[in-house]
Amino acid sequence: MKKFKVEIIKLTNHLKRKLGMDPQDVAEGEIANEAIMEADRLIEELCSECHSSIGGFLKALGEKWSEMREIGEDTPQRRALSEEIFTLSHEIKDIGSMCGYNLIAHFAESLRDYIEETELNLEAQKVIIQAHYDAMNLAHKNDVKDDDGPVASELKQLVKVAIKKYK
Amino acid sequence: MSIFKKDEPVLYDLSEMTILLVEDSHYMQSLMILMLKAFGVGDIMACSNAQEAIDILKVTQARRKSRYVTNVDIVLTDWLMPAGPGEDLLKWIRSHKDDSIRFLPVVVVSAYTTEKVVSRARDLGANETLVKPVSGKGLASRICAVIDKARPFVSIDDYFGPDRRRQSLEFEGPDRRMIKQEQVKVTREKTVG
Repeated sequence: MKKFKVEIIKLTNHLKRKLGMDPQDVAEGEIANEAIMEADRLIEELCSECHSSIGGFLKALGEKWSEMREIGEDTPQRRALSEEIFTLSHEIKDIGSMCGYNLIAHFAESLRDYIEETELNLEAQKVIIQAHYDAMNLAHKNDVKDDDGPVASELKQLVKVAIKKYK
Repeated sequence: MSIFKKDEPVLYDLSEMTILLVEDSHYMQSLMILMLKAFGVGDIMACSNAQEAIDILKVTQARRKSRYVTNVDIVLTDWLMPAGPGEDLLKWIRSHKDDSIRFLPVVVVSAYTTEKVVSRARDLGANETLVKPVSGKGLASRICAVIDKARPFVSIDDYFGPDRRRQSLEFEGPDRRMIKQEQVKVTREKTVG
């Protein structure tokens, strides 16, 4: 029996068929411009509530961080809280980058990646998580959006120093 | 025969379409659902990690002859999900024994813009990649690309998924591909769905 190294499978385009078209039809389609504009309007609407949404997530993150900080040793409970902080950071990062809060998104991503990638070191965590949390809160309180500019640079520097010193 | 004239743009009516959305961020999930509804997508199933998506696909697959459960047409999945990443889902889909699952179009939605993630998703068989933050235009273009630019699937030792070469450009130099034409089997008109 002949042994083939590659199989190329040409599929019937059933999506086109489902859209009422001939599967062989090479014509390209589009989604109505009005629908795309409506989708963009929904993004804008979400972003209009973004500041208070991020505030809510930061509050939750602060609460989890307080609980985690109180646990002085590596326990399953502490690790569970660490995972919750990871998830909250991830959420803040998504909303922040979606709605133009780039500085907060930057810190949220950094915090998320730090929790994910760094080996557990309780003392280092205390300082680094706190630095990220403080930076996000300051950016949020002062409604700083851009991740460049003097305020952003100063906040980034503070976090950078904390990471450099304790990582 | 198409009911559309060739030179007119075809406006897609997605009311018969079912999209499985896998997104762990509550906010992003709600937003994406609203955007897909704005596009007129008829049925949107949403879940928040790879395992939930696998369960949904298993159920829809098992009940695909039922008039009450629709087949999934396109999977839109986030990449980084702590409770079960998009990578796991993509691997599961592309290694499934059933054609209606393993040929499913998968669009990876990722906040990671690194080339590494994009090439990883491509090498695991993703059809398209959409980088966050999403926009109406970006999401619409990926859905249309899945419909319009359906590529043949390629099965080799270490890859199963849509042909990673999107264009077949003429090339004047020597052919350095290691596989000879007679070692390629072309299967046509495989019907899925």
